[in-house]
Amino acid sequence: MDSSYLCPYCKTGFVDFETLRSHLVSKHSGEPLPEPPGTVSLTINGQPFKMQVQPEWTLYHVIHDRLGFTGAKLMCDRGICGSCTVIMDGRAILSCTTLAIECDGKSIQTVEGVAGENHPLIEEYVANHCMQCGYCTPGFVVSAKNLLDKNADPTEEEIREELAGNLCRCGTYPQHPKAVLAAAKKLRALMGQ
Amino acid sequence: MPTNPMEHDRYAPDTFRVVGRRGVRRIDGERKASGKAIYTKDVQLPGMLYMRIMTSPYPNAKIRSMDTSKAEALAGVRCVLRYDDPEIFGKRAASTHGVEEEILSQCAYFEGQQLGVAIAADSEDIANHALGLVRVEWEQRPFVLDPEIAALPDAPSARPEWLGPSNHLALFFGAGAIFKFGDVEKGFEEADQVITFEACRKYHGLADAEPLAGVAKWEGDCLELWVHHQHPYEHKWVAHQWFGIPMNKVKINSPYNGAMFGGWNWIDYSMVPTCISAIMAKRTGRPVKWIFNRRDDFTFGSMDAMATRFKVGFKKDGAITAVKIRTIFENMAIQAAGHLLENTRTPNLESETALVQVNKGPTHALRCEQMPPSFCLTHVFNHVAAALNMDPTEVALKNDGVEGHDITYLEEFKKANGFPARDSLRECIEAGKRQFRWEEHRHAPGARRLPNGRMHGVSFTWTHEWDDTRGAAAAALMIQADGSASIIGLRSDVGVNAETAYCQIVAEELGMKVEDIFFRQGDDTHLPLMTPDGSCNLTTNGYLMQKLGRMAKQKLLELATTGFNVIEYDVPPAFPGLRPDELDVKESIVFVKADPSNRKTVEEVVKDLNGSIMRNMHDYAAIQHTSHPPVYVWTWHRQGRFGIEEGRHRLCRQAHFCEVEVDAETGEIEVKRVLNVNDVGKAMSPEGVEGQQYGGTYMGIGRNRSEEYIWDEKTGVLLNGNLCDYKFATMNDIGRIDTCIVETGMGYGPYGSVGVGEVVATVTSYLLDAAVYNAVGVWVDDGPLTPDKVLKALGKA
Repeated sequence: MDSSYLCPYCKTGFVDFETLRSHLVSKHSGEPLPEPPGTVSLTINGQPFKMQVQPEWTLYHVIHDRLGFTGAKLMCDRGICGSCTVIMDGRAILSCTTLAIECDGKSIQTVEGVAGENHPLIEEYVANHCMQCGYCTPGFVVSAKNLLDKNADPTEEEIREELAGNLCRCGTYPQHPKAVLAAAKKLRALMGQ
Repeated sequence: MPTNPMEHDRYAPDTFRVVGRRGVRRIDGERKASGKAIYTKDVQLPGMLYMRIMTSPYPNAKIRSMDTSKAEALAGVRCVLRYDDPEIFGKRAASTHGVEEEILSQCAYFEGQQLGVAIAADSEDIANHALGLVRVEWEQRPFVLDPEIAALPDAPSARPEWLGPSNHLALFFGAGAIFKFGDVEKGFEEADQVITFEACRKYHGLADAEPLAGVAKWEGDCLELWVHHQHPYEHKWVAHQWFGIPMNKVKINSPYNGAMFGGWNWIDYSMVPTCISAIMAKRTGRPVKWIFNRRDDFTFGSMDAMATRFKVGFKKDGAITAVKIRTIFENMAIQAAGHLLENTRTPNLESETALVQVNKGPTHALRCEQMPPSFCLTHVFNHVAAALNMDPTEVALKNDGVEGHDITYLEEFKKANGFPARDSLRECIEAGKRQFRWEEHRHAPGARRLPNGRMHGVSFTWTHEWDDTRGAAAAALMIQADGSASIIGLRSDVGVNAETAYCQIVAEELGMKVEDIFFRQGDDTHLPLMTPDGSCNLTTNGYLMQKLGRMAKQKLLELATTGFNVIEYDVPPAFPGLRPDELDVKESIVFVKADPSNRKTVEEVVKDLNGSIMRNMHDYAAIQHTSHPPVYVWTWHRQGRFGIEEGRHRLCRQAHFCEVEVDAETGEIEVKRVLNVNDVGKAMSPEGVEGQQYGGTYMGIGRNRSEEYIWDEKTGVLLNGNLCDYKFATMNDIGRIDTCIVETGMGYGPYGSVGVGEVVATVTSYLLDAAVYNAVGVWVDDGPLTPDKVLKALGKA
């Protein structure tokens, strides 16, 4: 039996359009419009986004190319460099090796969000000259922010360990622990510790 | 007016207000830290197409035929440009390096070379898919990867259509086939000891952070380009050559560059993808962005892929009497004896250079072309010091000089030309030894095993600070109606904080607060500033900024003392009855020297002093917010030609120290500590200098420890064209980097400055060779010093 008329809500098949329509009216009337396949809802830097994604799209492609959050960068193409790092549900992840279609319902913070909350890391990164070309800097900032979210008083060793997965061709590395330590101190002061 | 190559800045104020000050906020910092800085890879335009170029799967091959029909038919493909398209077939694109390159070649001379066909599509994925649908019938040819084999008369031709049967290439960059200075045979006879040895370096590359890309867009007959390139302004000239359009109809956008260290920018092909994207933009009527993926970026390398045979004669006291070297280079060469000539008293030199084409990507200056001369200088000195069991810092001091003359000649030169009388090398070495605790850590080779079982080693190297001698640029400066000042010029940014330094120089000379000066480097303002090249920028552009600041100050003070007429009424001067030389400017305040309480802000001076520029609509219609000619100045400066101007000796020096631990069982080298001592003449931005000292160390050490392109010998395929298998330094690959800035004022740049952008990355590479020798008592002399090579040198592999 040809049942190619599928209900978009419950996926039941029907033989013709009229039968499908009767089913929709009787069973699903009053429900919101069905979402097309591949629809994901993301919260990015506190803002809700809903969009249709192709299965092969990476999260990086969605946030950088589709939504205009150009802070996350593509450097290595295989999850080595950390430049595409974002924080998803409290964890630093590599957006270039994460599929967007698997992120439905997730909450994401990009470097723009870190700057938007006036995090002390931004100013300390500037003051300590943690950037030269700046291409890797957003990835470092997000990785460092994630560290400070979990550890308010890291040692220099812990900072180096956490940031070891971020590559910098300009070699700004020695400056980063200084900035993170200074930002941690400011944060603790703000928290009244 | 001819440029005097001996001109240097004799103006050096005793105290600087802004230049050299720490804590000046970098003007690009917040943008970069907050993700707001835009790079070419980020640029997206409405309707933009994505362009990919086919790459060769073979190291030496020719396209016999190519079927693009399936690619053309793929949905979303908008333009396919084939190598045999009448618009480009047989034609070459000019580049600003005086060379021409094929736009889409029919022949490949290295695996991974862009050629054959370019495809523009609605997305990068579609363009990649379309490339996969192109069917090519290849004529494969024998290939050669080893330069010693390529040099032989019966070697396969690496690039038949360009070279014919011989793989030998023409030499430039100062590399004559034989270079002679003095009489080396006589020098060897005079020596107490003569040693011979060999050393080599393998091919390594740039591994830039931002994958290469560019955008082209037409608006009628006007072309707009976004370029990820160190030479943005030059693209105007090149576009004029390609398309016959006037330069005044070419607009260049120079977004931030995600790492650029020369390399790509000097490769003749580097402007060609932009040419292709412009052709496709014209054909489709849409903007076209060309993109290299990460693998595509591994198509060029550094010009220090070389092997050198050394013969060195020296006295018992360390004075070197003769050096004879024979070097074979892959794909690009430079005079490898350069530093021995330019900053030692070695009286006899002979350098033979052979340059051959092999089936690898082109090589060029990659932070920088001085790698071969530094390589040779370091190896000569450290081998001499080792042979004599002498402190290498003493060997260095013994031989400091220029063109066969010793230090006394340099002292006379400094006096005759108005330089401060400082012994730069001695100052750098003494400061370095103190800070490094050199005497405490130094020991005989292979003599110190640590409690953790590893072998401890230290090393030293040195050379001059170079390349303040090149470049020409133009720029302007304007004071806006609110008293803020804009530096106006087009250049590319690679992150060395030069833009902030320029603001510091302008602020210093103009007397304004540095916060009141600003520079946006990426806008097409038609004035070409010197762009990051060879440690020359700050010198050339610094002079410009110095002149602009002085000229603007003069104009500002003239405005302050001159009344002007606005249509129907006269505006009195801000400081009536005074001359410009009776005023000064400090911290953005104009004041009377004899009575500083008589003062006005710069803003008040440039604005109409009545507080209201127009009395009525007619005034406004006539003058449009400019009641007087703006304070606007422009100038041009030429610093010199490439290389050395005749008789213009390099006076500043640098010294570097390193401490390692070598695991003699695994061959691994752990770099514990590096100290860089750089005499930069005068540091404009101390944090900028330190950034180059830190960053240069990571690149320098890294490229001699783990960076090497590996080709499969059977297929000529590059095996490690990705950032996982091509390893550049991570944060934990070096333990500690210390810095020391020396300021002798003996550079040819403004305030006696000299560049530092390349020196550390180049010179620190070779610290490792001597450090490993000091640790384990054998020379590896095959860079990079990967564990397998260390073990082989130890006889364990």
